[in-house]
Amino acid sequence: MLQEAQSAVGGISGADLIQVAKFLAAGLCMGIGSLGPGLGIGNAVAHALDGIARQPESRPALFSTMIIGCAFVETTAIYALLISIVLLFVV
Amino acid sequence: MREELGKLIEHLGQKEIATWHIGGFAIQVDPKTIVMSGIAALIVVILALFLRRGLRQPVEDKPNRTQAALDFVMEQLDSQLLGNFSSKSFGARMFPFISTLFLFILASNWLSLLPGLEAPTTDPNVTLGLALMVLVTVHVFLIGTKGLRGYKKEFFTPWWLSPITIMSEVIARPLSHGFRLFGFVFAEMVLVTIVMAKLEPFVVPIFLRVFFGIGFGLIQAFVFSILTVAYINLATEKH
Repeated sequence: MLQEAQSAVGGISGADLIQVAKFLAAGLCMGIGSLGPGLGIGNAVAHALDGIARQPESRPALFSTMIIGCAFVETTAIYALLISIVLLFVV
Repeated sequence: MREELGKLIEHLGQKEIATWHIGGFAIQVDPKTIVMSGIAALIVVILALFLRRGLRQPVEDKPNRTQAALDFVMEQLDSQLLGNFSSKSFGARMFPFISTLFLFILASNWLSLLPGLEAPTTDPNVTLGLALMVLVTVHVFLIGTKGLRGYKKEFFTPWWLSPITIMSEVIARPLSHGFRLFGFVFAEMVLVTIVMAKLEPFVVPIFLRVFFGIGFGLIQAFVFSILTVAYINLATEKH
């Protein structure tokens, strides 16, 4: 049993470990990086909906402002995506 | 069947790069992207020429179908996109630029719905090129409204903040602007290809492709052009 484990560990080279670290880092980067924007967009849409429910006639103005705000909030997720693309395909 | 589809995943995201030698310079291009963006532009131009013929009618008549449809599109573009400009006349001046941007991105996002074609926006070079075009436009307007002195002041007051300002205005802004569009379209392509190869060959991918392609393609084209409107608006407002 111990020998099996040792031989299995012996088959893993440094390049394999780097590969593992790359995938893990890309996944974690995207996962953690999209937490904040998810919360932020949820908050923005919730308040916009609140406003629309109170004043239905303000829908067009609120909608386009909400889209702009969502796009700005998304930016950090876009940077996370950028970094994970770099990790996967460039590094 | 499954094996053939499995090859799709292996070639996912790969590009065939052609190198052109023009006058001592080696220019590397992806011919597929060029052909696909050409097709997207052609679709917009042909639709425009074709729909223009439907408009030839006396003014006092009731609008025919083409006219009614175009009126609807124009009204939506005008109220949703151009309505965000600070002044009505400036919005009318920027209408050709913004609506061309919107229609081109919409056509290229919806190109992936046709079999055998691929959206040119899955190539980051296309989206970053569009974002660079917007960046140059914004800076031209910034110089136009503030003058060269005001333009310098915009970036160098206070001077110790200038690296951060330049970083966020000139480098990070077009990057996030372009990669937002690229990320969504590329993610859609990857998702549909993986579902097609691994799970269910036909029914689910078609549903996904129509759902993501039509819905998200429209939203992303809208977001890209409304962000352009917001950036130009920020650049032209007077203090």
